Amino acid sequence: MQLLLEQLTNGLTIGSFYALVAMGYSMVYGVMKLINFAHGDFFTLGSYLGYAILVIGSGWVTRTFGLWGGIVVAILGAMLGLAIGGLLVERVAYRPVYKAGRLPLVVSALGASIFISNGIMAVWGPRFQAYPQTSIPSGTFRLFGEVYMTDIKLVTLIVSLTLMALIYYVVEKTLFGAAVRATALDRETATLMGINFRSIILFVFSVGPALGALAGVFAGLNYSRIIFTMGWGYGLKAFTATIMGGIGNIPGAMIGGILLGLLESLFEGFVSGAWKNVFVFLILIIILIVRPTGLIGEKVAEKV
Amino acid sequence: MKRVLSLVFVLVVTLSMALAACQQKPAEPQTIQIGLQAPLTGDFAAEGQWAKQSVEVAQELINKKGGVLGKQIEIIIADDASNPKDSALAAQKLISQGLKEVIASYGSSVTAPAADLYDANKVVSVGYGCTAVRLTMEKQRPYFFRTAGRDDTQSEFFAKFAVEVLGAKRIAIMHDNQDYGRGVAEDAKKFLQPYIDAGKAELVYYDAITPGESDYSAVVSQIKEINPDVWFFTAYYPEAALLLKQARQAGYTGLFVGNNSVPTPEFEKIAGVDVIKGSIHLNEPMPQFLSYPESIEFMDAYKAKYNELPGSIWAVYAADALNALVAAIAKAGTIDPDAVAQAMRTMTDAKGITGPLMFTERGDRKDIPYYAYIYNDQGQLEVYYPK
Repeated sequence: MQLLLEQLTNGLTIGSFYALVAMGYSMVYGVMKLINFAHGDFFTLGSYLGYAILVIGSGWVTRTFGLWGGIVVAILGAMLGLAIGGLLVERVAYRPVYKAGRLPLVVSALGASIFISNGIMAVWGPRFQAYPQTSIPSGTFRLFGEVYMTDIKLVTLIVSLTLMALIYYVVEKTLFGAAVRATALDRETATLMGINFRSIILFVFSVGPALGALAGVFAGLNYSRIIFTMGWGYGLKAFTATIMGGIGNIPGAMIGGILLGLLESLFEGFVSGAWKNVFVFLILIIILIVRPTGLIGEKVAEKV
Repeated sequence: MKRVLSLVFVLVVTLSMALAACQQKPAEPQTIQIGLQAPLTGDFAAEGQWAKQSVEVAQELINKKGGVLGKQIEIIIADDASNPKDSALAAQKLISQGLKEVIASYGSSVTAPAADLYDANKVVSVGYGCTAVRLTMEKQRPYFFRTAGRDDTQSEFFAKFAVEVLGAKRIAIMHDNQDYGRGVAEDAKKFLQPYIDAGKAELVYYDAITPGESDYSAVVSQIKEINPDVWFFTAYYPEAALLLKQARQAGYTGLFVGNNSVPTPEFEKIAGVDVIKGSIHLNEPMPQFLSYPESIEFMDAYKAKYNELPGSIWAVYAADALNALVAAIAKAGTIDPDAVAQAMRTMTDAKGITGPLMFTERGDRKDIPYYAYIYNDQGQLEVYYPK
């Protein structure tokens, strides 16, 4: 029983990472019908920006703002950097080819992905970097019984879930959210109705990458090890989560991400680690056979 | 005086010309030439440079003591650029220069094609950084030897160390499903089998993780639940660092044993001192911990020349390859490859920097030294076994 609860908390944490990244995928797909291959690299870049902020002047940020203050600065810095970065990528790589159809757009996205990951390698080098130990809170607490959780893990969970709820609220309950959903449904009509398409693009390409950056910094804080290729693995898993939940809608991405994390943990913990990915993708295939539009893709007609 | 000198000079010149004229073959070289094939460029360039420096230091030490068979040693270097194609070219270069003994090379896949060529041309070659079992066990190469151990040396050492030294009963083995880690894990299981059959040990966990991920909390929870006496991890440092860190955070207090790819500066950096202290890691002998008189002499000479110790043990094995060849040449009394190969197989008293230099019929080194190191409270490695 205790092991089960422990594996559930493990799965929830991994799942919240996937969900954060998956939301970025889903938002861009919903509005632009584009699978943004560069999204995994936004995640990596965010992680490296957080790292760069924490190692400036050998821990100046942590010394000045305190342990948690330093983390807040790193997170906000990385999110801001990636919001700008996302808009830049949209301007340079997507907007010029947007009218050319979907295939050139996908190729352009792949190009952006390779550009970003190699850029990171050129700046920070091909080896592993480690978040400085002095900038990471090292506390752990007993959750129940023999189940321990690190402070940073708990913060990760709370912040991710809160942000997901916030984004959900904005997209589903506000007027602006309605505009976003309308654009996703039919861009031409939405534009005719007076919705500013540019501002919607601005929204998805700043918020999506910023969420990726948040997940990236949290990955660094939780696992300390970062490398320029790590976006690929997370990107793939997050993309899987997106498909599982139903690509294009935000609650789907959240549920897909958390479900994927739970499935992984439970299978790895109780059956076999070596067969984990085989099992996870088998589940994906089964879900797609039974519900081709994803778990909750059908119910929600609009996709954002 | 001047006149006498010029007379001598003229005499010498005429004599040598006369000698050269009447001899069809070139004059017998005044030195004994030994080849060194090393990856001076390419992926393993650092290893190649260290090997070159180590061999040169060993050469100076031998020459200072009078060389071998009354002659000085000369090292002829060829670069194999860390890849199999250039390795064959380097081997051909050394063979065409008429060398009978060479030191070659670093990396099993790089060494294999060269070893084939040397063997076909009856040149004794001694590998120093190639550990694949297949090099000696898949086919017999009568002229190939190696001073480094094999990939399964470590697994054999682990089984004995875990059961007999640590007294562990419940053992967990975890690998990463990749070539190297899986091989070590399978061999460890194989060498544990006799202990398991005798009821002295029990394999309570045997599974793989997915390399390249960041969150291993699921396996960690499982290990915590099983709570083995020894948790042996046979893969690379990035995963080892994360696993151990997450295990300690999850409240696991048991013993972690890493294989030889784990204890690296990166491992220490990612995991941090608090996490790594008390963990034990199996490894080849590390240059700084070698304590034979020959090791101390070599390390002192190396330090005097380069102001640091060799960067890896493989470079020291390269120096020992030279020591082994020189000892075999001395024993054989000739540089004839058949006699030298025979001497390599039968010599019993050759002393190297890394211990006695003795070889099996198939060219593997006998009694290859292996160590268990432990991280102390300051996060530094210390020898744990054998003391």
